[in-house]
Amino acid sequence: MFLTRSEYDRGVNTFSPEGRLFQVEYAIEAIKLGSTTVGVCTPEGVVLAVEKRVQSPLLEASSIEKIMEIDSHLGCAMSGLIADARTMIDHARVTSQNHAFTYDEKIKVESVTQAVCDLALRFGESVHDEDAMMSRPFGVALLIAGVDEKGPQLFHTDPSGTFVRYDAKAVGSGSEAAQSELQDKWHKQMTLKEAHILTLRVLKQVMEEKLDQHNVQLAQVTSDKGFEILDEVRLKALIDDM
Amino acid sequence: MPDGSFSHPQQRSFNPYTENGGTILAIAGADFTVIAGDTRQSEGYSIQTRYAPKVFRLTDRAVLAVNGFAADGNMFVKKVKQRLEWYRHAHAKDMPLRAIARLIQTMLYAQRFFPYYVYNILGGIEEDGTGAVYSFDPVGSYEREACRAAGAAQSLVQPFLDNQIYFKNQQAAPGQSHPLHLPLSDVLSIVIDSFTSATERHIEVGDGLEMYVVLAKGRSAQGLEGGRGVQELTTRTDGDRVFVIRRELKKD
Amino acid sequence: MSIMEYNGGSVIAMVGKDCVAIASDLRLGVQSLSISSNFQKIFPVTDRIYVGLPGLASDVTTLHEQFRYRVNMYTIKEEREIEPQTFAQMVSSTLYERRFGPYFIEPVIAGMQRTPSGSYEPFIAATDLIGCLNFAKDFVVAGTASSELFGAAEGLWEPDLEAEDLFETISQTLLNAVDRDTFSGWGAVVHVMTKDKVITRTLKGRMD
Repeated sequence: MFLTRSEYDRGVNTFSPEGRLFQVEYAIEAIKLGSTTVGVCTPEGVVLAVEKRVQSPLLEASSIEKIMEIDSHLGCAMSGLIADARTMIDHARVTSQNHAFTYDEKIKVESVTQAVCDLALRFGESVHDEDAMMSRPFGVALLIAGVDEKGPQLFHTDPSGTFVRYDAKAVGSGSEAAQSELQDKWHKQMTLKEAHILTLRVLKQVMEEKLDQHNVQLAQVTSDKGFEILDEVRLKALIDDM
Repeated sequence: MPDGSFSHPQQRSFNPYTENGGTILAIAGADFTVIAGDTRQSEGYSIQTRYAPKVFRLTDRAVLAVNGFAADGNMFVKKVKQRLEWYRHAHAKDMPLRAIARLIQTMLYAQRFFPYYVYNILGGIEEDGTGAVYSFDPVGSYEREACRAAGAAQSLVQPFLDNQIYFKNQQAAPGQSHPLHLPLSDVLSIVIDSFTSATERHIEVGDGLEMYVVLAKGRSAQGLEGGRGVQELTTRTDGDRVFVIRRELKKD
Repeated sequence: MSIMEYNGGSVIAMVGKDCVAIASDLRLGVQSLSISSNFQKIFPVTDRIYVGLPGLASDVTTLHEQFRYRVNMYTIKEEREIEPQTFAQMVSSTLYERRFGPYFIEPVIAGMQRTPSGSYEPFIAATDLIGCLNFAKDFVVAGTASSELFGAAEGLWEPDLEAEDLFETISQTLLNAVDRDTFSGWGAVVHVMTKDKVITRTLKGRMD
């Protein structure tokens, strides 16, 4: 695929004769270089887990932030160019707050996901006196987890602006192995605790380092407590239970 | 007289607002809400029309009554309906009543320095199935209440409602308490009495009466279906239902 | 600033079956500042006539004295008690004398009128501040809560109420009306008159 370079992979808004947007496809490829990120949906809530690649013993592991809060009922995990995700999370947060301000209700998970995806294709080359827009597609995939009137839900978004709902989804470098493991182990009546253990086991399988409370991060969204990132104490307890 | 001369002081003015009279009223029951308004539209001492609706169905569970400057009122209802349509497209559901209430606040406050000259009363069924009334001032201050009158005859009707709905200045019999909500038939009687009273004593009220009744899902429509002057506006009987009851009021 | 609303206060009168009632609030204020919760606005004229004088407080006193003087003169000259109908005309002409510099009062009159057969029938009347008479058959209202009183009375009043029911009706009408008027309230007084007696009750109300 990459061996057949052509002039069509230059312009970010130019279709190739076969009808492809190479830059968007490359952006999707970029995610496969990112650290593994897993999301699991259960009737009790949604669990998000990410691998933190601690590349140096001098690196402060707690400063790596790959799971973020969008609103009290919405969380987000990411894989790929984390810096790009900031723009999207910012937009998601503003959208969610705006919805609460205007309608006095919590925004639905699908609506906030749609809002984020609306951003994805706003790249291209600006014309003379137009405001400069984004120069390239986002290089990040998001797992957006939340609870609304329809219950716990998990959405996956990619740089093309496509979003799909999943019961369980893995993205990033170890995603292929992780996804097939999720397909084997996920079941409808999973408890939250089971989901915690499943995500950790899946991460453990695909991680090169030995999994501990410092190199993974786990979060959950439940209907009664909303979004919360599990602290290292709770994380360690879960790892010990694995 | 403004004549373009510089020899004497001149004043020019622009009055973008008119007051078109009429009165609106809403009362919430346990599992229903009645939203009513007369249909007279006047300007000064002249009657412009004897049938200008002030009450509008927004969704299967929300009805909005608008009183004050009719042009602003009609435009406001149009814009609210447009926002409800956008919301349906964006979120794949009808907007809940309290969300409509908040939306109306933001829409009114957006015009803080050139307000819609209207008093709004929103009535309908809440997500939990209870009847609800929200009342607004022209710039969006709002409150959920059990009953509210607004418009030309507000000062005539509201004290009567305080007495009959809230049982103000009445003491319950020993060991008993006043009911929190009245049955539909009682509420309709109070609404009709309020409007006949207002028609009697206020020149801007009369001609016709439209009472919208929103029934919570599962509540029997007993006594409404097939009643005199009753029309159902909803097509499904398995959700919340909206009826309108039309009555004549004195035309003098 | 309207001078009719300077001190606040409201009066209402109603007709019942062989009885009449007249009631007022007890507030005296100076615009939004409340001064007294015991300000009398209804005065006995004879054993069978009461007059309510809502409006400018100084004129309440002046007019009350004026009416006392004129009624006494009438009683002495005519050697009989004045009838409600006659008193109403007296109120009207007294006010119209000041057509172009009026007293800021809108009187309400209630009484039992003697009939040619010797029995008594209920009588109510009200005038505007220059004495235009209104002989209503049901109820009359005046004061800062007049529109509230009209609405409440129109909803609550019915024909041929017995004295006790008339008391309840006029009390509920007044109390609920003044509660929606910032210039009226602070307690109320009600007089219910039948052919042979008057029952006066002072009511507690919201003190805000």
